Parts: sequence; C-alpha cells; structure tokens
Amino acid sequence: MSENIFKEIYAKVLSLFKQTEKEDNAKDIAKNRLRVVLMQDRTNLTPELLQRMRKELVELLSKYVEMDKEALELNFDQEGDQMALMLSIPVIRAKDEAEIEKALAEKESEKSEEETDEEDETSDDNESEEEKPDNEESEEENSEDETEDDEDKEETSDEDTEEETLETDSEEEKEPETSEEETNEDK
Amino acid sequence: MTGRVIVITSGKGGVGKTTTNANIGTALARAGKKVVMIDTDLGLRNLDLLLGLENRIVYTIVDVVEERCKLKQALVKDKKNPNLCLLAAAQTRDKTAVTEEQLKDICEKLKKDYDFILVDCPAGIEQGFQNAVAGASEAIVVTTPEMSAVRDADRIIGLLEAKEEIKSYKLLINRVRPNLVKSNDMMSVEDVVGILSAELIGIIPEDTGIITSTNKGEPIVNTEKSLAGMAYRNVARRIMGEDVPFLNLEEETSIVAKVKKFFAGLMGKEK
Repeated sequence: MSENIFKEIYAKVLSLFKQTEKEDNAKDIAKNRLRVVLMQDRTNLTPELLQRMRKELVELLSKYVEMDKEALELNFDQEGDQMALMLSIPVIRAKDEAEIEKALAEKESEKSEEETDEEDETSDDNESEEEKPDNEESEEENSEDETEDDEDKEETSDEDTEEETLETDSEEEKEPETSEEETNEDK
Repeated sequence: MTGRVIVITSGKGGVGKTTTNANIGTALARAGKKVVMIDTDLGLRNLDLLLGLENRIVYTIVDVVEERCKLKQALVKDKKNPNLCLLAAAQTRDKTAVTEEQLKDICEKLKKDYDFILVDCPAGIEQGFQNAVAGASEAIVVTTPEMSAVRDADRIIGLLEAKEEIKSYKLLINRVRPNLVKSNDMMSVEDVVGILSAELIGIIPEDTGIITSTNKGEPIVNTEKSLAGMAYRNVARRIMGEDVPFLNLEEETSIVAKVKKFFAGLMGKEK
C-alpha cells in the first residue's frame, strides 16, 4: 500500500520536472533532430533555396524591425501531421513608424523608378529580365534605366535603356549607380 | 507453387539486414516452408558466413547469369535444414555483374519451387539496391533506433513507395535496448514507428548472443532460449500470416535486468 503512495508521489514529482527533462534527454533530442532533418529530406527545398528564402525574409522583415540577421533561425517542424515552418528572429529593436514609412517609401520609389540591387542577392532572379548571372565583374546590376551590359540589351531594349547604354563597348562594364535597395525578388 | 519474394533492405549498413535475412529464412524453414535466400551484395557477401555455408559455395549468382551453371546447381543447401538454401553472391565481382532483369528472372524461376525467396539487399540506394528490389513484391525495412538508421530507412521507404512492384513494406526495428529506452537515452519503438509511420513486423532486442551465433555460423533462431531468437521466430510467424503479439521488452528487462544487474554488481565487487 504505502509503496504505491510513494510511487504516486514520485511520479508526480517527476511530472513537475518533465518539461525541463524533455529538453535534456538524448532520446528527445534525437527525435527532434530527426524530425527536422526528415522534413528537409522529404521536402524538395535544397539548402540553397532555404538560404534564399532566409535572405528574402530578412530583407522583408528588416523594413519593420532591426534584428540580428545572423541569429535568425529557419526550421521545419512537425505539428501532428502538419508540417510547419518555424522562424525565430532575435529582435534588437522595433523600428518606429517614421523609419518604417521611410523604408517603405524607399521600396516604393525603387519600384517605380529603378530597380537596383546587389548582384549576389538577386542575380538569379533577374536573369530573365535583365542580367546574366555569370556576369562576374558586374557587382551591381541596373535595371531598366542603367543597363550597360551588351548581353542584356536584347532583353531590356524596350525600356529606356537605349539612351543610357552609350559608351559601353565592353560587356562587363557597369555603372556603380546602386543604392542599398533591393529589387523585389519575386519578379 | 507461387512463392513470395521479400527483399530485406535498410539503406544504412550495419543495422542487421543480413542477420535478419539469415534468421527469418531459418525460422521460416524451421516452420516447414521451402526457403531460398539470395545474397545480392556482390563483392561484399556475408550471408554465407552467417549461415556457416562459406565452405560449400561452388557457384554464385554471377555464374548463374553468365550461364556457367544451372540455377539449381548454384543453390547451396543448409547444413541442418533441407528446406533452406542459399544463392550466394560473387565475392570477386561488383554490382554491375547482375542486372535488374536477370534478378527478376531468377526470382520468377525460384517462385515455382519455393514458398519464400528472401533477397538480401546491399546497403545504399544505388544500383545494388535497385537490383535487389527488382524481383520483389514485398519488403522488410530494417532499422535501429538510431538517428542515422532511421533517416536512411525513411529514404528507403520513399524509394519503395515509388516502386510499383512493391505491394507492401514492413518495418523491423533491430537492436532495441530497453534499458536505454527506459532511461530516455534511446528512441523507443513507438518513436521510430511514429516518425516513419510504417507498419511494424518485428522488434528485435539487442542481444550479445548474435555475436556468438555469427561467429559460429549458426542463426540465433536455433537457440531456443534467446530473446532475439524468439523475436525473429515471431517475425517469421507474422510473415506467414499469424497474429503474434510483440514481445514486451520493457517488462522483460525491468525484472530480469534488475536481477541480472544485481548479480552482476555482486560479481563485480567480488573481483
């Protein structure tokens, strides 16, 4: 009899610590790591694609909050049968309204006027529109207005590029005309 | 007679595919079924060793496909059980020596004379795996409760699901250590089944007897009192359609292991 009571108490005490225990034991660590890795195995998202998704998320979110970009975590998780994408972002500080407005305005103007960007961020997105990604020397690409590269002429000729692409005879020349803004990646 | 062709596969090496093959085959033969085991691990054959038949091999599967002998000539009879025989892999050739079509053909021929054709699959997901699976209509996926083995099993299951010829696959969880499961140091059978969401056909406890049985070339199912042997015999019964409950390893160890541990502790102190 008394043994049973002790057992019950023991179980109750154990259950109190269950939450913390769960984090530590090798079994659950294995289970969770395995879940994550199987999610990745089962989806067709390559590490490169995940990296890109991460980058785009950082760009989008940094308009609204200042965050620790390096510490951003992007993981697949399983909740029952449902696959979930877990995003964890250490926020350094929320931006105030004016800053957000500014960021959005910049984005707007960038959309309407020119689409400048750092090549490494969007090169493969833009290739269909403006630029071949293997353009090694061009650090910055310019869209409609500033396209310099011969290779792009065909694609952008319908824009006002003809007027702008004057002096360039080498394929690799470009104007370092870029601001810090990015093109909308999903184009 | 139309035999069933079952491929035993795992993805990862070292989880006990060949041991499983030898034991299930022997258990089925003990139950009176006519069984042939095919080792398709060309260049890395081992099934002959586990069965203690390594000195009896004259012809291999490669000799059969290259027509140096008849299929029947290449079948090596088991020492004890006349119902059981082995078609050995060639040790000196690589995976390209036999094609999917050839294996399919061999399986078709064997189906006429045997109840069960167990195909021992090499590790990996390359051509060796494709060959082994080619003639089979059922599969047993062997895994252990370790992350790498489960991950590879998941991959294998994905590949098996894509194969039209494979009508069903079942999971065999090998080398379970109930003590570690209990102390939350190892994933449990339920965890693995949950993650892989596959039907279970067997749970085999870790058993040091496997080592001695391999050394002797005598499958552990022939050892009546071995727990792993019993688990393998149960797998064979399930394959034959019997509804056999799974061994309760937890209970088994919680009492037996405690007593054993107690005595082991005493012995240790005495030394």
